[in-house]
Amino acid sequence: MAVNRIPRGVNRTPGDRREKFPGYDVITQLPTWDVVTAGVVLRRLGPPPPIRYFTQDEEPIACALLDQILDQRHEPRVPVLQMIDARLAESQTDGWRYHDLPHDGQAWRDSLHALNDDARRAYGTDFGLLTWAKQGHIIAPIAGMNLHGTGDWHGMPAARVWSLWTRYATAAFYAHPWAWNEIGFGGPAYPRGYKNLGLDRREPWEVPDRDPDRDLVQLAREVEDARRHDTHYPHPPVIGLSRDPLHDEPEW
Amino acid sequence: MVNRPVTGIGSRITRRLFAGAGDHVAARNASAWLLPTGDERTNYQLRRDMRRYRDDDEVDAVIVGAGAGGGTLAQRLAHAGWRVVALDAGPFWDPDVDWVSDEAGSHHLYWNEPRVIDGINPVPLGSNNSGRGVGGSMVHYAGYAPRLHPSDFATYSRDGVGVDWPITYEQLRPFYRDLEEELPVAGEHWPWGEPHSYPHSPHPVSGDALLFQAGCHALGIPTKVGPVAITNGRFGNRPHCIYRGFCLQGCKVNAKASPLITHIPDALAHGAEIRADCMVSRIGFDERTGLATGVHYLHGGVEHFQAARLVAVAGYSIETPRLLLNSANRRFPDGLCNDHDQVGRYLMVQGAPQVAGRFSAEVRAYKAPPPSVSSEHYYETDPGRPYQRGFSLQTVAPLPITFAEHVLAEGHWGAPLREYMRDYIHWATFGALCEFLPQPDNRVTLDAQTDRHGLPVARFTFGECDNDRVMAETAIATMRDVLGAAGAGELMTIRRYAHLVGGARMAARPTDGVVDPDLRTFAIPNLYITDGSVLPTQGAANPALTIMALAARAAAHLVG
Ligand SMILES: Cc1cc2nc3c(=O)[nH]c(=O)nc-3n(C[C@H](O)[C@H](O)[C@H](O)COP(=O)(O)OP(=O)(O)OC[C@H]3O[C@@H](n4cnc5c(N)ncnc54)[C@H](O)[C@@H]3O)c2cc1C
Ligand code: SF4
Repeated sequence: MAVNRIPRGVNRTPGDRREKFPGYDVITQLPTWDVVTAGVVLRRLGPPPPIRYFTQDEEPIACALLDQILDQRHEPRVPVLQMIDARLAESQTDGWRYHDLPHDGQAWRDSLHALNDDARRAYGTDFGLLTWAKQGHIIAPIAGMNLHGTGDWHGMPAARVWSLWTRYATAAFYAHPWAWNEIGFGGPAYPRGYKNLGLDRREPWEVPDRDPDRDLVQLAREVEDARRHDTHYPHPPVIGLSRDPLHDEPEW
Repeated sequence: MVNRPVTGIGSRITRRLFAGAGDHVAARNASAWLLPTGDERTNYQLRRDMRRYRDDDEVDAVIVGAGAGGGTLAQRLAHAGWRVVALDAGPFWDPDVDWVSDEAGSHHLYWNEPRVIDGINPVPLGSNNSGRGVGGSMVHYAGYAPRLHPSDFATYSRDGVGVDWPITYEQLRPFYRDLEEELPVAGEHWPWGEPHSYPHSPHPVSGDALLFQAGCHALGIPTKVGPVAITNGRFGNRPHCIYRGFCLQGCKVNAKASPLITHIPDALAHGAEIRADCMVSRIGFDERTGLATGVHYLHGGVEHFQAARLVAVAGYSIETPRLLLNSANRRFPDGLCNDHDQVGRYLMVQGAPQVAGRFSAEVRAYKAPPPSVSSEHYYETDPGRPYQRGFSLQTVAPLPITFAEHVLAEGHWGAPLREYMRDYIHWATFGALCEFLPQPDNRVTLDAQTDRHGLPVARFTFGECDNDRVMAETAIATMRDVLGAAGAGELMTIRRYAHLVGGARMAARPTDGVVDPDLRTFAIPNLYITDGSVLPTQGAANPALTIMALAARAAAHLVG
């Protein structure tokens, strides 16, 4: 079968995490996809283009910021930085912009420089060179301002900057077949379609969730409480927790 | 106006296909029968044989935009024998090669030209709010095709909010019926508004829709399957839906309706020319006659002018007002048809909050069309509630990238974001459409920024009023209850908008709007607006069917 010829490196998840859908590989469905869609999806598994949009200064800031937003701490990583850089280099934006922000490309540049300024002021070091925990401490208040609606951050509306970063980050990450393997998503479906609609119904090739009862609320609360405890900016390290959720690889 | 006998290749094709068949839909609009039968989705022969007009041929009508309104108008006029050219800024899509079964890969379906948004509640555009290319936004719309309710046509007299339409529901009814047959619409018998049935039977429902039905049932909220403009069974040469779930990425199957397959083929067969990749930059106007003369447009960087006896603008609620404003001249210094400062005003979006609920069962909402089951139980004004008018409830089934926005909206990022996303297949998402009220200051104006053609871009200013806010919060509370009653654990809420309409509204008097009840501009007798811009209010129904019905009604008036 054609699937036997798919190279090993293709069957992956970001950070090699597979607790929920062990063995699931959406790429095994490749023979059932139309060629145009297959072409678009497979391009994401090939070598990413070189960085063209971000400057040398901006690259490490963007790289660390995206790793933080998407919790990409281990190889293999979805090349989100390259995917976003390609979008910006090609001006593949949604076109619209908020009246109080420049167009997306410029807003990315301005906000990355502002983030680096925060890092320098708080720790005297560039953002990209900070430890994972310290990077998290710099980002958390911006995310917090997002949640509470308004707030100015370096002359920019914090919520809109946050939305810009996270929209680009998730649009790139969840376009990647490795991410689909991680979340159990069926991927492209033409011309095959789906036959088994309904609750707890799967196609023969779909893999059941092996860990369906994980308590996400508890998990999110732990991580987010830890972030919230750091309300004084710049943030002290998180003390009094058995582990630092911003720093350690989570065990759940 | 012009009324020509039906001649030409179109009527020959129609006669050949339906001699003796007596199929009244095909006789009115043979589009579904003009598509190919085999594995291809496009009738290349029909496109190759397309009639082509020269710029200096004064055609009977030139239409700006081949979407919901423009595509329908083109078919109706061509079918009646008019010589029609429809210009669209985007491509003449070929579903086989231009569309993909992929979220990120569908970016080119949206109108991604520069626009500026502001106001108290700026409305993000792009993917969620407008399309380009032949078929318009219906190429990537979800496919819900409900009618408005009779009450929508008189919200001011009934409820003291909004404005009364200068036409009644009864005047639109026959066009709703025609369009429901031509799309065709599938669904259960509809008990709300004016009760009616649909030509195609309801589709089987998806996992998230089962939960929607269960939750609503437990609370005594009636639900119905549909109404969706998706074939259930063969229709002409259009196949059955294959339940692949990528309706918002363009239907590669030809199962979901868009003018590209529901109206353009018949228009071509009747001698219409669809001129793609042509961006109209201004409307020509003759000061002596006070009439529109045609349209200036850009193709391949070259400026052209298409002469026409009648101009119809159908570029969507943002581009239509922008084009009128960009067409200012000595007679209309503030924009074409803008003597009374009405152009661009009363732009509406529906409040479209969504709530997702977590179930221990695998929901896998990505299977089947996102539009599955809906309820209009809360559509009408309820005197016991603290707001006027109402909302509808629908299943929505976001794909992963869209679902990530739900997770982000709850403030999650980093490890929690990844964990929630890993749990994607356990979530069912429901959406509300809230009838937000028309307000004069929610509007399109021209920004100082220009696009690559040097044309000022649209600035869209929007803010909610108190009625809007209270209604949206009520809709959110209702969806939370429904999910809870269905057995959901955790919930996530996102506040968002959908469906822009208004901006060049229909009115009884020139001081209150831009077009009359037949969609003719008050200011220029041979200039029409035939898209969603003309809606005076929006109801709590998705707008595409109403836009098509209004365009068909305007065409009926034109062809006499
Ligand atoms: C994601 C999404 C989901 C939706 N879901 C639904 C749904 O389920 N049900 C429903 O009823 N509605 C839905 N809608 C809304 C519906 O698609 C639109 O309301 C409807 O298509 C608008 O019709 P229109 O004629 O006003 O404009 P459109 O259909 O957008 O057509 C406008 C056309 O004009 C062209 N154009 C614009 N400016 C110019 C110019 N200057 N020169 C040349 N061409 C130009 C554009 O390229 C476009 O093709 C959805 C929309 C979106 C974006
Ligand atoms: S689910 Fe059906 S209507 Fe939607 S895109 Fe797939 S085939 Fe087309």
